[in-house]
Amino acid sequence: MEPILLRARGETNSRSISTYLRLGGYGALKKAFIMDPAAIREEVKNSGLRGRGGAGFPAGVKWGFVPQDSPKPKYLICNADESEPGTFKDREIIHVDPHMLIEGIIIASYAISANTAYIYIRGEFVEEARILEQAIAEAYKKKYLGKNILTTGYDLDLYVHRGAGAYICGEETALIESIEGKRGLPRLKPPFPAVVGVFGCPTVVNNVETLACVPHIIERGAAWFASIGRPRNTGPKLFCVSGHVNRPGVYELPLGVTFREIIEEHCGGMRDGKALKAFIPGGSSAPVLPADKVDTAADFDAVAEAGSMLGSGGLIVMDETVDMVWALENLLTFYAHESCGQCTPCREGSDWALDVVRRIRRGHGRPEDIETLQRIARYASQGMTICPLGDAFCGPITSFLNHFGHEFEAYIEAATPAPRKKLPILPVRSGRGTFGL
Amino acid sequence: MVTVTIDGHEVQVAEGTNIVEAAGKAGIEVPTYCYHPGLSVVGQCRICFVEIEGQPRLVTACSTPVADGMSVLTGSERVKEARAAVMEFLLENHPLDCPVCDQAGECYLQDYSFEHGLDTTHMVDERRTFPGFERRLIGPHVVQNQNRCIQCTRCVRFTQEISETSDLTMKARGNHSYIDTFNSEPYDNPWSACAADVCPVGALTVKEFRFRARVWHLEETPSICPGCSIGCNISLGNLKGIVHRFVPRHNPEINGWWMCDYGRFLAEGLNDRDIEQPSRADAQSEERAEMSWAEAIDEVARLIATGSDVQAVVSANLPNEALLLAKKVLADHLGARVLTPINDGEKHKIKNAQRQWIGSVDSHANSTGARLIGLPTGDQDALVKFLESSNGPLIVLDNRAHPWLATDAAAAALKGRPLIVLARTHTPLSRHAAVVLPLASWAETEGTYTSSTGRVQLAQRAFFPKAGAKPAAEALLLLGARLEAGTDPNLTPRAMFEELAAEVPAFAGMTYRRLAGEPGVPALGFEEVAHVG
Amino acid sequence: MTPVHTEPLQVTPPAEVAEVHFDDDMEKRIREILKRYPTKQAAVLPLLWMCQERWGWTSPGIMNAVAERLELAPAFVEGVVTFYTMYQTEPPGKYLLQVCTTLSCQLCGTSGLVDHLKERLGIDFGETTRDGRFTLLDVQCLGACGEAPIIQVNNDYYTELTPEKLDQLLDELV
Repeated sequence: MEPILLRARGETNSRSISTYLRLGGYGALKKAFIMDPAAIREEVKNSGLRGRGGAGFPAGVKWGFVPQDSPKPKYLICNADESEPGTFKDREIIHVDPHMLIEGIIIASYAISANTAYIYIRGEFVEEARILEQAIAEAYKKKYLGKNILTTGYDLDLYVHRGAGAYICGEETALIESIEGKRGLPRLKPPFPAVVGVFGCPTVVNNVETLACVPHIIERGAAWFASIGRPRNTGPKLFCVSGHVNRPGVYELPLGVTFREIIEEHCGGMRDGKALKAFIPGGSSAPVLPADKVDTAADFDAVAEAGSMLGSGGLIVMDETVDMVWALENLLTFYAHESCGQCTPCREGSDWALDVVRRIRRGHGRPEDIETLQRIARYASQGMTICPLGDAFCGPITSFLNHFGHEFEAYIEAATPAPRKKLPILPVRSGRGTFGL
Repeated sequence: MVTVTIDGHEVQVAEGTNIVEAAGKAGIEVPTYCYHPGLSVVGQCRICFVEIEGQPRLVTACSTPVADGMSVLTGSERVKEARAAVMEFLLENHPLDCPVCDQAGECYLQDYSFEHGLDTTHMVDERRTFPGFERRLIGPHVVQNQNRCIQCTRCVRFTQEISETSDLTMKARGNHSYIDTFNSEPYDNPWSACAADVCPVGALTVKEFRFRARVWHLEETPSICPGCSIGCNISLGNLKGIVHRFVPRHNPEINGWWMCDYGRFLAEGLNDRDIEQPSRADAQSEERAEMSWAEAIDEVARLIATGSDVQAVVSANLPNEALLLAKKVLADHLGARVLTPINDGEKHKIKNAQRQWIGSVDSHANSTGARLIGLPTGDQDALVKFLESSNGPLIVLDNRAHPWLATDAAAAALKGRPLIVLARTHTPLSRHAAVVLPLASWAETEGTYTSSTGRVQLAQRAFFPKAGAKPAAEALLLLGARLEAGTDPNLTPRAMFEELAAEVPAFAGMTYRRLAGEPGVPALGFEEVAHVG
Repeated sequence: MTPVHTEPLQVTPPAEVAEVHFDDDMEKRIREILKRYPTKQAAVLPLLWMCQERWGWTSPGIMNAVAERLELAPAFVEGVVTFYTMYQTEPPGKYLLQVCTTLSCQLCGTSGLVDHLKERLGIDFGETTRDGRFTLLDVQCLGACGEAPIIQVNNDYYTELTPEKLDQLLDELV
C-alpha cells in the first residue's frame, strides 16, 4: 500500500509547511471550503472512517450528533493524549507531518461549524507540543488559521492545551474536564459531548489519527478511502508494534492485514528467534490473545470476533519467555495507578486485583484467588463504572485467566501461606495540619 | 407531572425527578452514598443501581431522571447482585472498626451492608491505610479518619456548593485519593460541622460529640435552634436528660439540610443549671432561702402589690404561648408596662433547599412572634430607659433576655427594686432578686416559635424539666391563677396555641397538626419570604 | 541514542516560593493564555505549567498565587495539582529521571536499567540524590513503546537505552 498518513516519512524537513505544501498539503482544505459543511460530514460518513482512538465509532456519525441549530459556540478537540500502553502512532504523526493533522482539524471544525479548536496533548509530550505550536504558527502565518481563513469568511483559532500526566484524560469527557481546568474525572453520560461538551457547548473530540485521515478523504473522495481495507473497516491504519519483535515501530497498513503479516513481514519476525506466546492487539486495554490467533485479520470486526479489540492499534508482542502472571501484574499496576478514583468498582477493583495478582506472583496465592479476580472483572466492567476504564482493566484480567489460567494455577499450587502480619497498633499521629486532639 | 411505576407501585412525580426521589415517593428506599438531595449529582458510588424494564444495562437511580411510563425495578436479581458487588468493593478497604467508630448506628455502610451486602468477603489482603490521617482534627470541630472514607465527595461538594468556601478538596487520585484542605490548613468555616453530617460513614465526625453517646441510645426530639431568628430545624439528641447534640433537620423553606456551627454547639449549654428550686433573698444572710412554687407565687403576688408602677421584661426567646400569656396576665390584667428587649447579636445565615441564603435579623428565636403578639420591643438603650422610668416591682422573664441584663451594670441599676426573676443559671441580677423562679431549659419546653421569615414552628419537649424548674408559660399560668387573671391554669401548650390562633390574627387558622406536617406555617403577612444575598 | 541536550531544572528552594508574584512577563503570558478560553478556570493547567517552568516545582505558595489570579479556591487548585502526576509538589533534583515501567518497556529490559540506576545513584524511586542532582521516578507508559526502554529526563525522551548508554547519559548530565 502506498503510504498515506506517513507519506512524508523520510522527507527532509517533513514537518515544515513548505514540505507539506509541496506534497499537495492544504489542497483538501481549499476543496472543503467550496463544499457545504453538511456535505463534508456526509463525505466522511460515507468513507466509513471509524475513530482511531480506541472505540472505533464512525467519525462522520459523531459529527452529525452536533446540533447545528444550537446557538452556542461549538468546539472541536483533537485528542492527542496518547497514553494507552503500546500506542505511539499519534506521536509519529505529530513528528512526521503535523500539518496533516492541522489541516484535518480545520476541515473538521468547518464541518461542525466550530470556531475554536484545541489540541489536548499529554503533558509528557513536551517536544511534540513544541512541534505543534510551531506548525500552528506557520499555519496562522499562511492564513490557514485565524480570522477569515483564505478569505472565505470562516474563522478558526487553534490552541495546544497540555495535560499533566493522567491516562484517564484520554477519555473524552475527562479530557473535557481537564481542559476546563479541573481534575480529570469522566462525566456521567448522557449528555454526550456532542450536545454538552467543553464549557457546556457542543463538542466533538477526535483522535489525532482520525483527523489526519480527513484531508485525504476530502481530497480523494469517500469511495477511494472506502476501497482501502475491508467493508466497515475502511482506510489505512497505523499499527504500533512494541515488545519482542526485531523491528518495533509504527507501520501504516490497510485494515484487515493479519497480525502474522505485521509481525513476520513488517517487523522482521520475533526477536532472537523465540516463539510467539501471546499478543495484545489494540493497546493494553484490549484482551490478550494467544499465539494461535495470530492469523486474525487486524480490523475492528475481526479482532472483536476473536475476543479482543483493535482499539488504538497498539500491538504488544510477547515471546515464550514471558511470565503471564508478571505481565498481568504489570498492567494492573498501570490501571491502579491511573484509575481516577471517582467511582467505586474501578477505584477499589483495580487496586484489589493488583493486590491479588501481586500476592500470587510472590508465591502466596490461594485457590480462591481466581474466583476473586473473576468477580472483580465481572463487577468492575460492563456498565458498572462511569467510564470504560473499568472495562479496560477487566478485559486483561479475564483474558489472561482464560488463555493463561494454568500459569496462575501453577503459581497457586506452589504457593506457601502468606506470613501472618501482626496488625499495627495505630498511634495518634500529629501530621502536618494537625493541631492536637 | 409524569407517571412512573416503581416495583409495581404507580407514582406521579414532577418531570425531571430522579429515580431515587420518585422511589422515595412510592415509599421505597434506594440506597445511596454519594447522592444527597441538597448537593449536585455525581453518580459515582454506584450503589443506587436499579433496573429499568426494557433496558439492557442497570442505571444509577440518582443520575437518571424518570420518564413517563417508565417501569423501575429496585429489587430485581440483577440489581441485588450489582449492589452486593458494590458493597463488597466499598468494604474492601474500609476498616471494620465499628465498635470504636463514632458513626456506628448512623452509618450507611452498616445499614446497607446489612440490607444489600454479602455475608462474607473475598478480600484477604491488607487494607489500604492513610498513615497520619487516622485521627486528625482538621478544624475546630471536625475529626477526620481517612481510612474510613469511601470517596463519595459529599463533603467536598458541601463546601463548594453550600458553604461556598471550597475549603475541602479531594487530593491525589485513584484508591489513594483523600480529603484534605489547601496545604492542610485548618478546616474552619461557619458551617464546618455540616461536612460531618453529610459524611455517610465515619470519615468525618464532630469533635464535640465524639464518644459522648452511642447514637442508638440517644433520644431525638424535633426542635428549633435557639441561636437566632432564622429558626433552623434541628433534632435535639438527649440521653437521660442530658443534651448531647443538635443536628440539622430538613426544612426546605428555612435551613435546607444545614445549620451553622454557632447554633449547633449551643446544645451543650442547655445542660447548665444552677437554679433548681424557687428561692427568695434572705435579709440576714447571703444564702437564698428555698421555697415551694406555691409559696413563691404567693411571694410574687405580695411583691407586685407593693408598688403601683409594675414593669415586666419579657424575653424574645420564649415561645409564642408564653409571650401571649405574658401579655394577658402581666400587661392586660395587671396593667404592667412590658418591654421585649431585642439584641441584634452576630448575624448568621444559612441556605435553604432552593440554595437561597436566609439571614438572621437578630439573636432571638422569637422576636417576630413577640411583635406579632403585640409586645412592645426595644433595643438596649430603650431597655435601660424603660427600666429607669420606674422604681416599682419588676418581673424579668428571663434573666438572659438581653445580654445587658446579665451584666453587673444591670444588677447595680436595678438594686433595691422588688425583683422577680425567672432564670436557669445565675447572673448578678438573679443573685440578689427578691424571688427567683427556676426556668425550664429549651429542651424542657414545648412551644412554638416564629422565625424571622414568619414561619411558625413547633419545638417539642425532649424531657421533663429537672428539679423544680417550669417553663415560663406554666409559671405565668400559676401567677395568672393567683392574680385571678381569668386564665385557665390547666392549659396545655397545645390548648395555648389554639388560643393564640383564635385570638391573634397573624396566627389565624393554624393548628398543631399543620405545624407538624408543614415546613413551618407562614404567619399572616409573611407569605412572601425575603432572602438575603 | 539522541545526543544529550537536557537543561537542568532551575529549582527554587521552598522558602523562596512560599509566596510568589507574577512579574510583567508572566502577566503578559497569563493574559495571552486567558484569551484562549471562555472561562478563567480553564487556564489552571497552563498557568501551573508556566509556574513550574519558572520555579522548578509547584509549591503551596504557587498554587495559592494561581488560585488568586484565576479567582479560584486554593484547595481546588491543589486538588487539580495532585490529580496530575507531572506537577512536582516537592522540590526535585536538577534532573528528573522518569523511568517508564509499563509493559512494552519492561519487555525490553527496563528492570535491568532500574537496578543499574538504583545502584549507581544509591536511591530508590521517589528519592533524590544527596547532591540534589537526580530524582528518580517510576512513571507509567510514556507513549513511545516502539523505542523501548525509555527514560524521560526533564522534558526529553532518551530511548532504546542500555545500562552502558545510561551511564554515558548520566555522566553527561551535569
